[in-house]
Amino acid sequence: MSGKWRIWLAGGLLAAVIAAALYFPALRHQVDVAKQLTEKTAEQARRELLPPTPVTSGDPKVKAKIYWGSSGADGSLVPVTVELPLSSDPAMRAKQILNTLLAGPVDPEARTLPPDAALLAFYLLPDGTAVADFSEAFATSTPSGIQSEELAVDSITSTLEANVPQVQRLKILIHGQEVDTLAGHLDLTQTFPVSMKGAPAAHTKSPVSAITAPIRKAIDKVKGATKQ
Amino acid sequence: MGLNIVVLDPAHGGTDLGARGTEGIRESEVVLQFTTQVKRALEGQGFQVLLTRDGNENPSFDDRSARANAQRGAVFITLHIASTGLAGTARTYVLQEVPPSTDLTGLIPWDRAQEPFAVLSHKLGDFVQGELAKRFKGSPPTAQVAPVRQLRTIAAPAIAVEISSVSVEARGDLDRMVPGVAEAIAHGVAAFRPSYVVPVMPGTAPPAGVQP
Repeated sequence: MSGKWRIWLAGGLLAAVIAAALYFPALRHQVDVAKQLTEKTAEQARRELLPPTPVTSGDPKVKAKIYWGSSGADGSLVPVTVELPLSSDPAMRAKQILNTLLAGPVDPEARTLPPDAALLAFYLLPDGTAVADFSEAFATSTPSGIQSEELAVDSITSTLEANVPQVQRLKILIHGQEVDTLAGHLDLTQTFPVSMKGAPAAHTKSPVSAITAPIRKAIDKVKGATKQ
Repeated sequence: MGLNIVVLDPAHGGTDLGARGTEGIRESEVVLQFTTQVKRALEGQGFQVLLTRDGNENPSFDDRSARANAQRGAVFITLHIASTGLAGTARTYVLQEVPPSTDLTGLIPWDRAQEPFAVLSHKLGDFVQGELAKRFKGSPPTAQVAPVRQLRTIAAPAIAVEISSVSVEARGDLDRMVPGVAEAIAHGVAAFRPSYVVPVMPGTAPPAGVQP
C-alpha cells in the first residue's frame, strides 16, 4: 500500500472516530428519552387495562369509616364517616374503600396517601391475607420518614379493618414488585396485621408476619399480571 | 458481659438524601451533625462509639447491620430526621416483640436477627425516649412500635430516633436541638446499661456469668 493510501485510510478512520464521538452523546440521549417514554407508556397501558372499580347503583349505600390524618402534625389518624355505595364482595369492597382513601379528604392537609398514587390491583386470599398493589407514586411521593410512612400504611390498614372485616393482614406491593421499604424506612418485606386475628401471637397491632406459601402465590400472580 | 459499645448509624447518605425540606435541608447531611454530637456525649459517659458512616457514603441496610452484629456488648442507634411531625419533637422507635424464631441448627435467621433482642430494645427505647420527652415538649413519653427496616437485621438492642423535621422554617431550629438530643441519648443509654444482658438464644447455653 502506498504512502498516499495510508494517509487516506488514517484520515478516514480518524474522521469516523470523531463522527462517532460526536454522535454517541446524542444517541445516548435518544435512548434515555425512548426508555422514559416506554416506562411511562407501560404505566399508562397498565392503568388503562385495569378495569375501573365498579360502583354500581345496586350497591347499597353504607356508612364507611375512612382514616385520614388529623389536622395537627402529631401523626395521628382520625376516622371520618363517609356514605358510600359498597359491594358485599369483600375484595371489591376493599378496592372501593381504598380508592376512596386514595381520593383523599376535603382538607388536603389531612391526606395520608400521595394524590398521584393509584391502586393497581387487590387480591384477597381465603386465609384473610390481602395483597394490594400500588403504583410507583405511592413509594416515590410518600414523604420519607418513619412517622410519615407509618401514617400512610396505618391509614390503609385501619380503613380496611373498619370496613372489610375479612381482611386480616396486608401485603403491599409497588408496581407488582416486592420492595424493601416504602420510602426508605418502613419495612414492606412482610405483612401488616389488619385485624387482631392477623396480628402476630399475643401482641398488639403492628408488624409483621412471615410470607406464607399462599401469599407468595398471590404475589407471583400480581407480578405475572404486571409483566403482561 | 457488660454494655460498652454503641454503634451509631446516621441514616441515608450518598445518593440517598433521605427527607428533604423546602429550605434545602437534607436528612443525610443533618444526621451527620447530630451523630457527631451524640458520639461526643456517649464517649463522655464512657462508651466506645462506632459509626456506620462518617462521610457521604450510603452503606446498605445489611452493611450497617453487619457493622453492629460484629460487636459484642453493643447497642445500635439509627438517627433520622423526619419529613413531618410537630417541629421540635423527637420519637424513638423499636420493633414489635415477637417470639424469637430459629432454624433447625438453633441459629437466628439474619432477617429476623432483632427478635431475641426486642425486649431489651424496648427497655432501651423507653429510657432514651423518657430523656427526649423531658427536653422536647410534645414528644411521646415512651418508645413507639414501628416496623423500621434497619432494625430488623440487628442482633443487639436497637432503636431508631427520629427528629422533626426537615420542614422547619430554618436550619437553625434543628441545630438548636442537637445538644439536647445528644444529651438525652447519652443519658438514656447510660441508664439502660445495668439492664443489659446478653439474651439466651433458643438451643444455646447462656454465656458464663450471665443470668438467663
